[in-house]
Amino acid sequence: MEKSTIICRCEEITYEEIEEVISHGARTFDDIKRLTRCGMGPCQTKICMHLVNKVIHELTGLPFQDIPLPRLRMPLSPIKLETLATNSTSFYAVKSVLDELELEERR
Amino acid sequence: METEVLVIGAGPAGLAAAFETASRGLDVTIVDESTVKGGQLCQQTQIIRALPSIFQPMRGFELAKLLTNQLEDFSVRYLLKHRLIGLYRDGSVGITNEVDVFPIKFKKLVIATGAAENAIPFPKWTLPGIITIGAAQTLINRDFVIPGKNSVIVGSSDFAMDVALQLLDVGVNVKAIIEAQSDVLARDKEKVKRVKKSGISFYLNSSIVEARGKDEVSEIDIQLPNKRITEKVDLVCVDGGRSPILDAFYQLGCSFGYQGELGGWIPQYNEFFQTDREDVFLAGNAAGVSSQGAVIVTGMIAGVSVCESLRIIDNREAEKIRISLWRELENIESSLYPDVWQARINHIKSFKYPLLKNQFIL
Amino acid sequence: MHIKNHPILGSCLQEPVTFYFNDQPYTAYKQQTVAAALIANGIRMFGLSRKLVQPRGMFCARGRCCSCYMTVNGEDHVRTCMIKVEEGMRVYPNLEDPEIRGD
Repeated sequence: MEKSTIICRCEEITYEEIEEVISHGARTFDDIKRLTRCGMGPCQTKICMHLVNKVIHELTGLPFQDIPLPRLRMPLSPIKLETLATNSTSFYAVKSVLDELELEERR
Repeated sequence: METEVLVIGAGPAGLAAAFETASRGLDVTIVDESTVKGGQLCQQTQIIRALPSIFQPMRGFELAKLLTNQLEDFSVRYLLKHRLIGLYRDGSVGITNEVDVFPIKFKKLVIATGAAENAIPFPKWTLPGIITIGAAQTLINRDFVIPGKNSVIVGSSDFAMDVALQLLDVGVNVKAIIEAQSDVLARDKEKVKRVKKSGISFYLNSSIVEARGKDEVSEIDIQLPNKRITEKVDLVCVDGGRSPILDAFYQLGCSFGYQGELGGWIPQYNEFFQTDREDVFLAGNAAGVSSQGAVIVTGMIAGVSVCESLRIIDNREAEKIRISLWRELENIESSLYPDVWQARINHIKSFKYPLLKNQFIL
Repeated sequence: MHIKNHPILGSCLQEPVTFYFNDQPYTAYKQQTVAAALIANGIRMFGLSRKLVQPRGMFCARGRCCSCYMTVNGEDHVRTCMIKVEEGMRVYPNLEDPEIRGD
């Protein structure tokens, strides 16, 4: 693949950068993510995961079943902090994400 | 909010699962981030023939309407423009309507989130005007917008053939279909013939070398086996295949296996379309990328299995219905895609041996 | 260009709306997404990428790739392929990171 081809659209990581970290020992998506920021943009690996796994497969010969999925956290898609921290009292079932935290007592 | 059966995804599989459960008296809630019911079927204008025997061949959007209408007699709670955002600590799912986030407690969960398209990278593929073929179909059949004047399609799956014909229908000039393999990937040979007859060039063993343009794509270089050509296009539709959407399964702590023919990584599930979490079922393209008729049957199997696990129908009756549904699934899937069918059988056989576990980070 | 008469789906564009991109008025129809409305009016560059400052527009139309981010009615980083266009909507391109201080 042409070296300047962008693999991660969000963080604009090129094939060349991924090839370099693989030559330094990166073998999984998460390895590459931590070294290049690939997958840390707004889409959170939704678009680049498939592409990066293909690059790992091509450059290392690892079969796809040996290239694990990246690990993900909530939220599953972009959401406003305003929505997560909602404190609406008009909707009885609303449960703010802040309620999930055990906030420390301030002395 | 509490419900007995929570269905994530109002596409054909989700609607089929909702029908099997709601028609037997269960309290069903369906969540979908779209404003309409029917998922991708709503924007499909081609005639679909390989369907479960209870359906006649019909166009995608007609099938979407039928699947929606058959739920009219039952009190199903629809949460459209809502999406799954995560899990609360007590196990209820977090749903948002963009204004609030709230929990939904469920007895059984059916995840039918579908599949997402894969990209095909080449230099400057990030230019405006380069979109997925699903996006092209969305623009013409859902938003009623011409996506461009002169286009090429990269990839040659059955879906690409459908979209090629649909682009021609609305007057978009499709100059060529560019396929990297040595043969067209589409299995429906009649459809390929129709596309060839329309005058679209087929460039096999070919790929895009580079796209160029100032603020949007205006031309591309294509490498053919024995020469390189330049085409002036303002629209490039990429078809890199589809992969199941796994986001929800991550959060629920499900384990995964790999089946290339089904789209890559898929959640582990058994012949009941139940994941390795006893209360989480799945259906549709999320269980492996397949044709529209097949995903409807997977929704039916999941729905019946949910009814069985909630003791609405007994094991003997559920098994009887399941056996006939699995036969339908085999019929529909193995006619054009025997490798997909075989991969599904292998996946179910290896249910107890996941390749990936413990993906969820607390 | 809007498809006023679709060969299979018919004439489905019923209610026109006027929206503004960079303060210029454009016509669209109620059920279209903001991204589709812009594309119909020949506007395909929705913003610039953060690092290499390259033109970006809609890619997946499913709300997954976030390439269609724009500022809509004062709210930044809106996935324009997911929201419907409304009368009087004010849309601006996503040219750089938004200013989050102040106000």
